Amino acid sequence: MLGFILQRLWQAAIVVLAMSALVFCGVYAVGNPIDVLISPDATQDIRAAVIAQYGLDLPLWQQYFGFLGRVFDGDFGRSFVYNMPVSELILSRLPATLELTLAAVLFASLVGIPIGMYAGYRPNSPVSRAIMALSILGFSVPTFWFGLMLIMLFAVQCGCMPAGGRGDTVSLFGVDFSFLTTDGLSHIILPALNLALFKFSLMIRLARAGTRELMLSDTVKFARAAGISEFTILSRHVLRLISIPLVTVFGLELGSTLAFAVVTETIFSWPGLGKLIIDSITSLDRPVMVAYLMLVAMLFIVINLVVDLTYALLDPRLRKGRA
Amino acid sequence: MTTPLLEVSDLRTWFPSGKSEVKAVDGVSFSLAPGEVLGLVGESGSGKSITGFSIIGLIDEPGRIVEGSIKLEGRELIGLSPHELRAIRGKTISMVFQDPMMTLNPVLSIGTQIKLALEAHETISSADARERAIKALAQVRIAEPERKVDFFPHQFSGGMRQRVAIAIALLHRPKLIICDEPTTALDVSIQAEILAEMKDLVAELGTALIWISHDLATVSSIADRVAVMRFGKVVEIGPALGVLTKPQHDYTKALLDALPSRAKPGELLLRGSGIADAAPPPRKAATSDLPPLGSPYLVIDAAVKRFEKPAGLFRNLAIRSGIAQPRPVVQAVDGVSITLKRGEVLGLVGESGSGKSTLGRMAAGITVPTSGTIRLAGKPVMSGGRSPHKVTTRVQTIFQDPFASLNSRMRVGDIVAEGPLAHKLVSRAESAEYVARWLSAVGLDPSFANRFPHQFSGGQRQRIAIARALAMQPDVIVCDEPVASLDVSIQAQIINLLIRLRSELDLSLIFISHDLSVVRHLCDRVAIMYQGRIVEEGGAATIYDNPQHDYTKRLLAAVPVLPTAA
Repeated sequence: MLGFILQRLWQAAIVVLAMSALVFCGVYAVGNPIDVLISPDATQDIRAAVIAQYGLDLPLWQQYFGFLGRVFDGDFGRSFVYNMPVSELILSRLPATLELTLAAVLFASLVGIPIGMYAGYRPNSPVSRAIMALSILGFSVPTFWFGLMLIMLFAVQCGCMPAGGRGDTVSLFGVDFSFLTTDGLSHIILPALNLALFKFSLMIRLARAGTRELMLSDTVKFARAAGISEFTILSRHVLRLISIPLVTVFGLELGSTLAFAVVTETIFSWPGLGKLIIDSITSLDRPVMVAYLMLVAMLFIVINLVVDLTYALLDPRLRKGRA
Repeated sequence: MTTPLLEVSDLRTWFPSGKSEVKAVDGVSFSLAPGEVLGLVGESGSGKSITGFSIIGLIDEPGRIVEGSIKLEGRELIGLSPHELRAIRGKTISMVFQDPMMTLNPVLSIGTQIKLALEAHETISSADARERAIKALAQVRIAEPERKVDFFPHQFSGGMRQRVAIAIALLHRPKLIICDEPTTALDVSIQAEILAEMKDLVAELGTALIWISHDLATVSSIADRVAVMRFGKVVEIGPALGVLTKPQHDYTKALLDALPSRAKPGELLLRGSGIADAAPPPRKAATSDLPPLGSPYLVIDAAVKRFEKPAGLFRNLAIRSGIAQPRPVVQAVDGVSITLKRGEVLGLVGESGSGKSTLGRMAAGITVPTSGTIRLAGKPVMSGGRSPHKVTTRVQTIFQDPFASLNSRMRVGDIVAEGPLAHKLVSRAESAEYVARWLSAVGLDPSFANRFPHQFSGGQRQRIAIARALAMQPDVIVCDEPVASLDVSIQAQIINLLIRLRSELDLSLIFISHDLSVVRHLCDRVAIMYQGRIVEEGGAATIYDNPQHDYTKRLLAAVPVLPTAA
């Protein structure tokens, strides 16, 4: 098991290194941030001084290795736009995205999986058919449209929900969270719902397909022949057996939502990472972009590692090979 | 006479299929006394399993019991609510299924699964449940039950898993256990153990048993009475000895006649001989350099096959520094030398894991041996070099599962023609004619060439697989359990076909099987494999009548034998 984790960390290091080089070169090709940073009527001397200050006069490889060296010391550089350390900037935005994403993914799983299992258990009942029709809708409706509709309905028409922003936050361990105040909670519901819709439909379909197949298996037949109740069969046998694909998708969705909740965050003006990255791309804030994309790569690696370890926890057959 | 434990009368279980109904069970009646063992015998589709599932109330949708009555100790079971039925299942009637690999939940420990089954009918503390689980495992003779209770199903062998399933079925001391082909997926020696244990347990606990099987010999060794089923009806029922030695119904007679153990070795079996087969097409002239019949032909010399997983960078480092153990190497075939004479049928017998299939695959040039040589008429079967490949078309293979071995997206004609076209044995223009002749040679209608494999039954598919192998005009055919998944009557047809083709085409066969009676019937010489080695080899009659090696003796003793008329 230890060897397995070591191997994964080694792979992770290589991936992050490759990612940093790719991103650095890519962003370098996008454009010169100096044009955005200083006003066009600045003198040539000021312009040269600013360029030298940010080290933009050096050749690309020197800039890259200088950056790498600083990263090893924990310094991702300073944002051109906000003029503060990038690590601080990202950390200040991360909790907002984290709580929004977790709320969305947990809602999608905790509600979607039981509903999907029901639809798989009684595939021909009218309720199940309605569930499946809904899930197709959830797949096909564009996120931005659904978000706008939510705002129209709940914020504009009823006025019972706020249309955007984070609301009151409470500091916990030095980090600000919204979900601990009623005002914050009312702010998180709509964006979380919007973000959850697609994942919700996905979880329903996966849980349904798995359950439907398993209900015909000999394992379930044997459990029934032993007189075990249908609820116990579903909760103890079937749920455990369908959990592996569910965990895989859960991990992937968690990662991609954390990294790319851009649309929802923009619509609901949620001050998270998605908004930060969009802003930094428009203002060519190179250090933020590089650090952010490296963080995303790290995030996926960590999530995948956790998912793999969860497999071993869920399925004893997978433990043997790695022990 | 005592009141019967179970009385089934005029049971009809039908499955709607399109506009009509499949009458899976169509008027079955029998009764069972307490503690009695009833064997329910029939071929696939006879309705024997559905009868079992009807009794325990587990008919899959959309099937339903349309009429009849099932009385358990005088209480009518048909029409009970799902809740009432559940209270009976596992408590009064329980069931053991065919495939122990499929029935136990792979992600729950044995102890948890037993606990769930206990909790289904009583409230019990975790500690008590554990104790009961250990006792239950001890009862079915699982060694070290205290430790094994925390094992997961994949840590058990097939026989052990089936014992666990039996332990679960016995938990609540049921009055009736329905066993649906419980030993079919197991090796003969394991089957013999389970049969003996089951007999003892049933006698000890006074449990009645319905033993569903396609295998007459197994049933005869455990059942007091036997019911023979066909097309959803019981055609004959009576005391086991009477039914098996003096069958009254024609179908029972035909079933018995289809068994190779009841015929003289090498003769055509009675059933299935009625099909008129066409003569096979003429062979290519290029094969005239064949050695005479009876001379050594396919020579396997010191063949070894090891399966090992290559270790990665970190594992290699860890192994060198002594932190990790090298991965275990599986020695599937461990230095086997054997010679197949031309025109001979060599039987390769062994239990699962003995290496017989791996040896067969090496002989056929599918698997590369780790060391050793395989030569056909003096020339190697596979090329040398880093990535060896098969260089001869003279060895062909017929695989066990005709459902898996035929590409379901290709037409039968294309399947048969693919190899001959690739090796230019026929031109594209001649291929349709060529395929048609081979299909008729294996007893199939040549017009089948335009159909897809899923339109055929298991026996027909195996004929297609045989036609495909023969169309390559081989001299040697490696048959890897070709009749293991077929019903006895179909098995008889395929055996007859092989006997006939062998003499007509002067084929040499390597016949791999776990079924000792089929091997006895078909083979001239037999090699017994055990743990990757050949432990005994010799003429079929010699080995069967006078086995020398202990393993051979054990294997032969484990085979259930049909009673013969005195």
